[in-house]
Amino acid sequence: MKEADYKELKKGGMMRQREAGHFSVRLHVVGGQMTTGQLCAIREAADRFGKGTVHLTTRQGMEIPSVPTESLASLKEFLSDSGVGVGVCGPTVRTVTACQGCRICPSGAIDSPALADAVDREFYGKPVPHKFKVGISGCANNCMKAEENDIGIKGWIGPAWNKEGCTFCGVCEAVCPTKIVKVSEDDGRVSVDLAGCIGCGDCIEACPTGAMEEETRGCQIFAGGKFGRVPSLGKRILGVLRSGEEAIAAIRAAVDFFRIHGKPRERFGDTLRRTGFEALENHMTERMGKSA
Amino acid sequence: MTPMLDITRDVCPMTFVKVKMGLSKMTTSEHLEVRLKEEALKNVISSLKSEGHKIVRVEKQGEIFHMVIEKSETRSSTA
Repeated sequence: MKEADYKELKKGGMMRQREAGHFSVRLHVVGGQMTTGQLCAIREAADRFGKGTVHLTTRQGMEIPSVPTESLASLKEFLSDSGVGVGVCGPTVRTVTACQGCRICPSGAIDSPALADAVDREFYGKPVPHKFKVGISGCANNCMKAEENDIGIKGWIGPAWNKEGCTFCGVCEAVCPTKIVKVSEDDGRVSVDLAGCIGCGDCIEACPTGAMEEETRGCQIFAGGKFGRVPSLGKRILGVLRSGEEAIAAIRAAVDFFRIHGKPRERFGDTLRRTGFEALENHMTERMGKSA
Repeated sequence: MTPMLDITRDVCPMTFVKVKMGLSKMTTSEHLEVRLKEEALKNVISSLKSEGHKIVRVEKQGEIFHMVIEKSETRSSTA
């Protein structure tokens, strides 16, 4: 097989294995969600075309290793008939990871799987200068490690203090993990420094009287993170986005920026360090038609 | 006299379990005073709220919080 053919196969999620003539076949998984029907089909596929094993990847994906070259076409057909897509590799938008979100998790602020589906539908497998990963955490607990992704999303619950009902008991200040809530009974006020707020909502949840209320719910967006050989964390950009549609618009603008400014085999974060994060924010603000 | 429960030496989930057990021995509208530390505040208060109990008063004394809870009609809980 020619090197070009291997590259083409890799783009389609079939990765050459150390063992000659064998491939590890990546499957299409969105936010780590699989039906039992799909799992049964994957089990059968691994038995019939591989060596009866499945590999769980670090980003909620699955691969069937040890598939001989001559079985690739029939494996693909079998999976497709069973409602299992084949994954992608190479310079494309990769598997979108997500937590279980607000429909399942008591901490969830946003519906991460629904957002992951929307991102997947629009961007999965689409060409970009280098691999591009999107991870979605439903809340500030950040189980999906938003800052490790080229674009990371994190659910947000923003507080607002109302004087009425406040007894200045100090619970909000005590539970705030970043210590940006300050109770000053002498001045008759509680201050919330939103610039340092991580949107966890603990002050709201713990307030005994309801004086600390939820004012905003949405998500924050992080750009330029990656792991691998030289890890770097993504930086928070833009303000709080209020809806899934806004988050999608933000990702659309970011992908567009990467296509314009990214060099081949340059990760998004490296592009941003070259152009400056402000250039991305300006581009996004313009494309999204809103102020940052 | 208001019964007093000290959970300053307990960790989650025993903090709320003890509060719940304390409340279960009481009748509706009775008060229970709880002494607790900062790390137990969020979970205990959010569980009490979700079970419908009323937090009458919270006061900080040094590192310890004193909380007075008014027992409400028990309702099914997810806490």
